[in-house]
This record gives sequence, structure tokens and C-alpha cells, in this order.
Amino acid sequence: MSETASPAPRPHSGPPREGGREGGRPSGGPGGGPRRGKRQFFRKKKVCRFCVERVDFIDYKRVEMLQPFLQDRGKVLPRRMTGTCSKHQRWLGVAIKRARNIALLPFATEL
Amino acid sequence: MEERLYDLIFICMPTTPEEDIAKIVATLEQAAAERGGKVEKLEKWGTRKLAYRVSKQREGYFVYMALRATQGELIKELERRLKVTDAVIKYMTIRLDEEIKRQQKLVARREQRTRRRPRRPAGPSSGPSPSPTPSPSPAEPAAAAG
Repeated sequence: MSETASPAPRPHSGPPREGGREGGRPSGGPGGGPRRGKRQFFRKKKVCRFCVERVDFIDYKRVEMLQPFLQDRGKVLPRRMTGTCSKHQRWLGVAIKRARNIALLPFATEL
Repeated sequence: MEERLYDLIFICMPTTPEEDIAKIVATLEQAAAERGGKVEKLEKWGTRKLAYRVSKQREGYFVYMALRATQGELIKELERRLKVTDAVIKYMTIRLDEEIKRQQKLVARREQRTRRRPRRPAGPSSGPSPSPTPSPSPAEPAAAAG
């Protein structure tokens, strides 16, 4: 895999770090650099997109919202790549799986 | 008895004529009405590309309905009818009232918290924004009252 596997540009990436209550992870230190074994910290202290937007419901019907969270092969991206918080990652997984069941998103795609 | 909210999506063959689709919708609506259900929303998304092949088709005609019902039996009946219809190649029903309740609880809790701790004005995307998603629930607190 190439180094920056970040799937999509992040419009809300200027994080208004609001009290760190929801979502703002206590991001690790120097998160730079490509994946080099297990010593790596969280890359690019990202905040959870959903927390920033205060989204309450991740709608499986909105494919454009879910699409950035999938790899090219259709797999769900791990949290450390997208910067999503655990709560929203769970909801995201549910939404993606629902969308897959109704053929809005693929289960797997050929590379 | 409390009312439940469902999302029902079904996909027809892309070659299905409009009138057949209307007929299917009418059948479902009627079946719902018979069992005390109500169609809240009906959207026809039209022909879309499918993410994978279903019944050898690459595209399908999507129809989305939001339903309110008090009986769970209704869903079984609707699904049975969809299963029987040849034109329908895929369907999915989702029960949403619990999720909506939870969502409302979160919103309520967040509002409470905001009131207690005045937020400092942050960047572009903050403020007491309602969630930008087209949440399928109408904005009644009726579901939360249970």
C-alpha cells in the first residue's frame, strides 16, 4: 500500500478542538511518517469527522457520506486511517453493512 | 402500544415499467393500511447502478418508503409480498425507532451540556446545528415518549 492511503480530502480538518469531550483523541506525538512497523503513532492527529459535525445518525442511504471510508477494494478503513472515534466507527460499520446489503455499496471490488 | 418506524427499500428490475412500480407501491400501501400502518414517506430514486450484480442485473430501480406501524406483523406481510413479486430483486427493512430514540437522547444530553457549559465560539462547523443527515424520523418527540 502506498504511504498516504488517506481516502478523501477533509473539509473540516481545521479542528475546533472543543473541550476534547467528544471525539478529540488525545493524539499521540509525532504522528508523521509512513507505516514503519508497530512503533507508529497515530498519523496526522485527525479528529473524528462526525464528532466535529455533531452527526447523530450515520445514514446508510447516503452513499457519498460513506464512500470515503472504504478502501478501493471495498473494505472498511480502520479507524486509525480515518481518525474516526470509536462510537462513530461502530455506527459507520453498521451503516456500511446496511448499504452493502442493499447494493448501494460493494462488498468487494476487484483491484 | 408504541409505534415503530421502519425504512423499507426495495429494488426492481430496471426494465420495469412505471405502472408496475406504482402497482407494487399501491399494494404495499394498502397492505399497510389494513394493518394499521401508515406510509410516511415514499421516494423513488429511479434507476441506479448497483454496487454488485443482483439477479444478473447491473442496475436497478430503487424505491424507498418510510413506514409507521404498531404491529410487527405488517413487516412480515410486506416482505412476503415483495418476495413474491417477480419484478422486485432485492428488499430490505430496517427498524429505526430505537435508533431515533437514542439519537434524540444524545441530542438532549448535548443540549443540556451546552446549556451548563457555555461553549466558546469555535470555527466554521460548530453551533447548535441539527444533524445534517436526512434522518428518517419526523421531528416528533412522540417516539421518545414511548
